[in-house]
Amino acid sequence: MDSDIVLVGLNHRTAGVDIRERFALTEYCDPERWALPCTDAIRESVILSTCNRVELLAAGKGDLEEQMLRDWAHVRHATPSELAPYVYIYKNQEAVRHLFSVASSLDSMVVGEPQILGQLKAAYRKAVSNHSTGAILNRLLHKAFSVAKRVRTETSVASSAVSISYAAVALAKRIFGDMQAHKAMLAGAGEMAELAARHLLQAGISEILVANRTLARGEALARQFSGRAIPFETMTHHLAEVDIVITSTAAQESIIRASDIRAVLKMRKNRPMFFIDIAVPRNVDPDVNGLDNVYLYDIDDLREVVEENMAVRRDEAAKAREIVSEEVQHFSTWLADLDVQPTIVDLIQRGESLAQKELEKTLKRLGPVDSGTRAALEAMVEALIHKFNHAPLMFLKNGGMAQEGNAQRISLVRRIFDLDASCSHSEGQ
Amino acid sequence: MISPEFSTGLTLVLYSLALGTGFAGLLARQPAWRKCGCVLAVTAFACQTLTLALGFHKALPDGLSVGAYFQLMAWFVVLCGSIAWAKMRQESTLIFAALLGCLLFLLSTPYLTSVVRVPTFLSKPFYALHIGALFLSLALLAMAFAAGGIFLFLESRIKSKRSVKGFWKDMPALSLLDKVNAFTVLTGYPLYTLGIFSGIVWAKPAFGAFMTGDPKEVLSIIIWLLFSLLFYNRLTRNWKGRKPAQCAVGIFFLCLFSILVVNTLMPSHHAFVRN
Repeated sequence: MDSDIVLVGLNHRTAGVDIRERFALTEYCDPERWALPCTDAIRESVILSTCNRVELLAAGKGDLEEQMLRDWAHVRHATPSELAPYVYIYKNQEAVRHLFSVASSLDSMVVGEPQILGQLKAAYRKAVSNHSTGAILNRLLHKAFSVAKRVRTETSVASSAVSISYAAVALAKRIFGDMQAHKAMLAGAGEMAELAARHLLQAGISEILVANRTLARGEALARQFSGRAIPFETMTHHLAEVDIVITSTAAQESIIRASDIRAVLKMRKNRPMFFIDIAVPRNVDPDVNGLDNVYLYDIDDLREVVEENMAVRRDEAAKAREIVSEEVQHFSTWLADLDVQPTIVDLIQRGESLAQKELEKTLKRLGPVDSGTRAALEAMVEALIHKFNHAPLMFLKNGGMAQEGNAQRISLVRRIFDLDASCSHSEGQ
Repeated sequence: MISPEFSTGLTLVLYSLALGTGFAGLLARQPAWRKCGCVLAVTAFACQTLTLALGFHKALPDGLSVGAYFQLMAWFVVLCGSIAWAKMRQESTLIFAALLGCLLFLLSTPYLTSVVRVPTFLSKPFYALHIGALFLSLALLAMAFAAGGIFLFLESRIKSKRSVKGFWKDMPALSLLDKVNAFTVLTGYPLYTLGIFSGIVWAKPAFGAFMTGDPKEVLSIIIWLLFSLLFYNRLTRNWKGRKPAQCAVGIFFLCLFSILVVNTLMPSHHAFVRN
């Protein structure tokens, strides 16, 4: 291969958050400097820096990894030896595989999370605007985006909820379907409950009521959700008007009992209700789940849902890795073909040049000929050259004998057809 | 010229394609395939409508041959499924309706050529009302059954905190399934009542008595009483969710028993006419 692809990076597995902070390249990578310095070795580069990973991708020839490490450490006012213990280095096919895995979110902390693809696209856009990408990285990054899309379409790696708050909302959708005609109530104000309320709002819930022991805090929360604050003491009176109840108060015993809900259900004409009890100790009497048209999930139930979904994602990730392997193979073939291109061009040009010379000699010897004869001669010479070139071209394109590398095949063809001499001769001319 | 055999064959091929594509879409969780299955099911339905409209099956206007009975039943089932798909954009409703429709259509094919000589008492207007209203209500009950079955499965999974896997994830939400049940019960019951009472009125001149103790009559009255119970509770006591779903499933099973066992195996003046 004429160019090597090298990826140097660290992520949440190889480095703690303090190290990731120390070697983050966010300030280094302002729009003007979103690339490694272009040198003889590094011809193309892209930098990806997120909260969970910092990765430098480069294409070029020579001792790329050493230069990349040196530049990276230098920018962060450190030495390469300080950085080295936390860093992984991948070359060529392994670098491609790693990039495809990152783009497909198979290397993320939460497998299947969608943000990384957007971050990678943003990194690529900045590199392009800084003119630091070329034929190889352009092709590689575009391929990475299409692999990510294929993984999402062909596997369920990103289909199920893997956070407690999102799992609660997914369950609410399974019960109510369209959320627009439904209301929710937030009792208490824990972080996870707030997050669930936020997800419900995103899902299109029509209104959120907030019941908090401190009314002022409740009002502040209600403003955040464009909702309505109600006094905590009146919470049970409002249960009939809401379909989803999220509880996360610090109460030491149940604040919602099955007997309360029986009466509420009558008022609601048995319309279903969903209770999401995130509090510990639990705020909702477990017997509530025994009532018809009432569904209750506590924190442990939701955790189990999340764990099951995580297991599903892990299984799907195995399928996704097969897709990645397949695409790595395709990309490697394209990359290998890049090496043989100049030889192919030389071979064709040599044939055409020889044909042209011989045709001119023959035409001189024949004297004046009619246009039909001339056209027939030209067609014959062209066909002859095509046929003559066919075997060496196939040898170059298809890899010839399996055990031979590209370099050896190229060298063989160049020597047999004396391409280097004929090229330098034509350059001299 | 299109022959009855050709149109029947074409309808069957279209239904088979619709089911193949639709169920592949459900199992592989591919919305495009499901949609394609629905379009094919509607095309098959149109083809079947044309077949019926052109009067290819001589048995159809003449009386209740087995073939005509199942043909009409299949048509009503897919009609309801198509309306539900158009109204709710839930492909699974039409795919399940097409499955039932296709099975009924398939059952009808060996008997399509049976020509029935119609007794004079079967040509009264009450007879058409009796059959038309009952068939439509049975098709609605079939939908209530499908929605109820799916509801009961999904609800038990959610209630017992077990995960919902595979194509079940693409099934409609519990609320929507309950709405289907409400719609089919509230429209199906008046039609069933109309069908039953028109039958009773028509029985007097035809058989000399309003009720003759025929097994089909007895079972139909039992079904009507259960249907009344479901209708009354749904309307006045706000039954929602599991109970109406269980009732709908039970009533539909009784209807199946009535059609498949009483009509074919028991001595009844409702028994299918064969050559």
